[in-house]
Formats: sequence, C-alpha cells, structure tokens
Amino acid sequence: MMGYFSMMFLYFDAGLGAMLVQAIVAAAAGIVLFSKNFMYKVKSFFGLTKSQKDGIDTIDFEQDEKQPNEEQGS
Amino acid sequence: MKSKAHRHQASFRDPSGYIVRDGSVVKRVINPIYFPVYDALCKADFFSPLFKAKMLIPHVEQERSAEAIVLMPDQIDLMTYPYEWSFEQYKQAALLTLKLQNFALDRDFSLKDASAYNVTFHRGKPVFIDTLSFDFYQKDSPWRAYKQFITHFFGPLVLAHFHGAEALKMMQTHIDGIPVALVASMLPKRTKLSPTLYTNIHLMAKMEAKHKDEYTPKSRSIKLSKQSLRNLLRSLYNYIDQLELMQQTEWGDYYNKTNYQPESFIFKKEQIQKWIAGNGARKILDLGGNDGTFARAIDSDIDLAVVADVDHNAVALNYAQVKANKEVNMLPLWFDVTQPSPAIGWVNLERESILNRLSAWGPEAVLALAVIHHMTLSANIPFADSAQFFARLSPLLVIEFPKRDDSWVDSLLQRKREFINHFDHYHQENFEKAFEEHFKILEKVNIPGSDRILYLMHSRQ
Repeated sequence: MMGYFSMMFLYFDAGLGAMLVQAIVAAAAGIVLFSKNFMYKVKSFFGLTKSQKDGIDTIDFEQDEKQPNEEQGS
Repeated sequence: MKSKAHRHQASFRDPSGYIVRDGSVVKRVINPIYFPVYDALCKADFFSPLFKAKMLIPHVEQERSAEAIVLMPDQIDLMTYPYEWSFEQYKQAALLTLKLQNFALDRDFSLKDASAYNVTFHRGKPVFIDTLSFDFYQKDSPWRAYKQFITHFFGPLVLAHFHGAEALKMMQTHIDGIPVALVASMLPKRTKLSPTLYTNIHLMAKMEAKHKDEYTPKSRSIKLSKQSLRNLLRSLYNYIDQLELMQQTEWGDYYNKTNYQPESFIFKKEQIQKWIAGNGARKILDLGGNDGTFARAIDSDIDLAVVADVDHNAVALNYAQVKANKEVNMLPLWFDVTQPSPAIGWVNLERESILNRLSAWGPEAVLALAVIHHMTLSANIPFADSAQFFARLSPLLVIEFPKRDDSWVDSLLQRKREFINHFDHYHQENFEKAFEEHFKILEKVNIPGSDRILYLMHSRQ
C-alpha cells in the first residue's frame, strides 16, 4: 500500500501553495455558506425566497434537470 | 498484455492504468498498482449509482489477471475537448467534477485529479470518462486535485465570465490548465473583494509564488477536515452554478436575422430531410450548423448529429435546446472551419486534432449550409481547397451555394472594397467545376424565393 501512495505522489505536483491555501479557502467558504444560509432563512421567514436550485448533493436525481429558462449560459 | 502496443498517447500520465485501442474499440487497462483502489470501489458499489445517473461512463470488467484488469467502457462517438465547448457546457463539466468529488468523499474516496479532459459530452450530457481518477480519501488531507480544478475549470470559467467565452480557447495553449497567476493578473481589481475569487484565485496565486521552490511544509503537516473540504467544494459549486457570461447574447433567435423567406426555409428543411433519409445517413456533421435547426429538422433515425459552429452564441443556443429537450443524438461543437483545433500535448498526439477525431468518427453525410460564401469570401479559401476538404470528411455532401445576387454574398463582396474584382471567381460555374473534381453532383435544386442552390454530391474518393 505504501508503494501505491508514494507513486501517486509522483503522479503530478499538487503545488504546496495550493495545498496550504485550502484551509483558508475552506474557512472563507464556510463563512460565505453560513451567511448565505442565514440570509436564506431570514428571507424565507418573510416569504421572499424562490425554490432553491439543485445543489452539489443532488445525485442520481435523474441527472438534475433544470427549467429551460435557467439554462441559457449566454 | 499484447494490446499494450496500441496504447493511446493521451494516457501516459497516470500510473494507475492506460487506454488501449483494440481496432476501433477503446478499452481501459488497470495496472496492479491500482488494483486495491479498484477492488475497494467495486466492493463499495461506488460505480453503479454513477452509471445510473449517467455521470460516469459505464464499463464492464472484461478480463482479469495478475498483470492487468481490462475494462470495456461504453464507447464515446466523438471526443470533444474543453476548448470546443460553449460556456454552459464547460460549466456543466465543472459542476459534474465537483459533484463527483462530493459523492466520492461521502464514500471515503477522493478524485486524485480534476483535469477538464476527464469529462466529455456523450448522449447529450457531460460524462466523466476517467474511471481510474478515484483514490482512497486520506483522513484530514486537503484535496490534491484542488489546484488542477482551479486551473482547468474555475480559472477558465471566471475568465470567460469577465472577458467572454473566447477566454476558454486559452485551454488550447495550456494543456495543464491556465496558470493561477495568469488568471489572477487578468481579473479586474474588484475581484479581490469577492471572498470566493480572492481566496481561490488571488490568494492561491500568492501562496503558489511564495512556496514555488518548496515541496514539503516546513513546520506542521497540512490538515483539512472533511467538513472544511465539503465547504470548499460547496462554495465552488454554488459560485460556478450562478456564473454567466457578461457579454450580451447577440441574438435570441438566429434565424430571424437571416435573409430567408419562410417558404425558402421550409423548402430547404424538407429537401435536406429527403436527401439524408433517402441515403440512410445516420451520422451527420453539420458544419456552420448554427443552433442545430436544420439538423433537428431531419426526422429520420439519426445516431448522432455533430453541429459545429464558429459562433459561440449559436453553440450555446444549441446546447440549451439539447439540455431542455433531453436530446441524446445532438452534439454541439464550437468549431472554426478555418482554424480547426490542432493536435496538442506530448509529441502532438496527446490531444488529437478535431479533423482527425472527426475522420475517425466517420460522418456519413456533411451538411454545409450557408457556409461556402463565408469560406470563400471571408476566409479567401479557393473552391479547389474547400472541395478537397469536404471530400476528405465524408462521402456525402449537402452544400448550399448562395449566388452572387444573394444579399449576404453582396454584402461580403462590398466589404472587399477596391479588391472586389479579385473575387470575380465567385460564381456558380467555378464552384461546380472545382467541386466536380472531387464529387459527383447527384442533384441540384434552386431554393424558391432565394438566390441560393442546394446540391447533393457524392465524393469520388
């Protein structure tokens, strides 16, 4: 097993900077997600929310089908 | 195994296995070093929900020995690369990659790479094709493929958001993704105020520059909890999901801007349908196919219509229809006939040129509607060369020739100003003469209410 992992580390350079920065990125992401969620709750309290789109957890999901009006990327 | 001789040039990077071509069939060979992961994935029933959701290309195990496991995946008709996708296609490929990583984490696995080349479009949807990209998740470890996700997906998408879809074409000159420092330098200063863009791009660029000569952390080991990693993924997902191009769409309905009368339009549709169905062509390449209107008009049994266009908006509109109607036999391709995507990467074989890929796929008919005047008058390609080009692509050609009196041709000619006389060769007679060198003209019809002629030709090759 050790042989396997040591070879994986030779596979490509993940970049030390990119590995180190993830803790900060994740912390910022946590704050953004928390505040978005908080705002969503506030808005839903006042009945101002639209139905939420499919998120990252939506799997199998007959492959997330969206409404056509949400799909025009440009 | 003996098929090693046909190892595909794109699969030398990963020690876990490689791709082989067995005749026209593509297979995946797993090296013993990856057996523990593959067996654990099978045991965890990792693959089947992903097959069912059409997120991962389905495969069956075909052979197993001490030296190799051979997987037989569903075959992809035509591989398309990131620089041939519209913005929305690119976005969906990025979201798929994040979903897969999230799914993998739930089961204690992790994507060990996040290359945009791991995704292609198959039966109307983005699908992950690199089955060997999954690895064991190591407790509290950061995501090794994070930087690759940023350079292959997040960076290009963010650049396209600010600078237009053309930014995605930069992937053609950066096979390992667009360097973070380059992305950072191209973003407006105000992006430093966005927590997502600041951390994922600007701060990452700084950290990369600071640690570029180090390989291991000086003090403590790098740790990141699974929940933190999930937050990172979720925040990238949400950001990409709401990302749109800033440039305005030039037209909502392309065909409102053309010079067709309704009866010409209907005639053209019916004639194409008749010729394609009559010749039993099931693999169609529509060059300059706009949003796929004419390819969709063919209501006979089509296996796949690849609809290529130089205009990003047309490709985007086409993909929007593919998605909305859940079409499985339409593949939108962002393609410039005057500069088709070249072969790139190691020995120029790692990523094949689009012309090689098209020719391997082997379209049974090519549609070239309202294209030849642009090729001849905008790109100055002589008829002899365009005829040869089409003859190499497919045995059957449906080509529309707008005569000199056509309003579009006239406008293209007027733009030549004092050089207008250099284009006197643009005539029906010269066109037919040059094309007859390579094709037999089977039928030709005038399109009523227009100055255009529709030809059905068969290659002499």
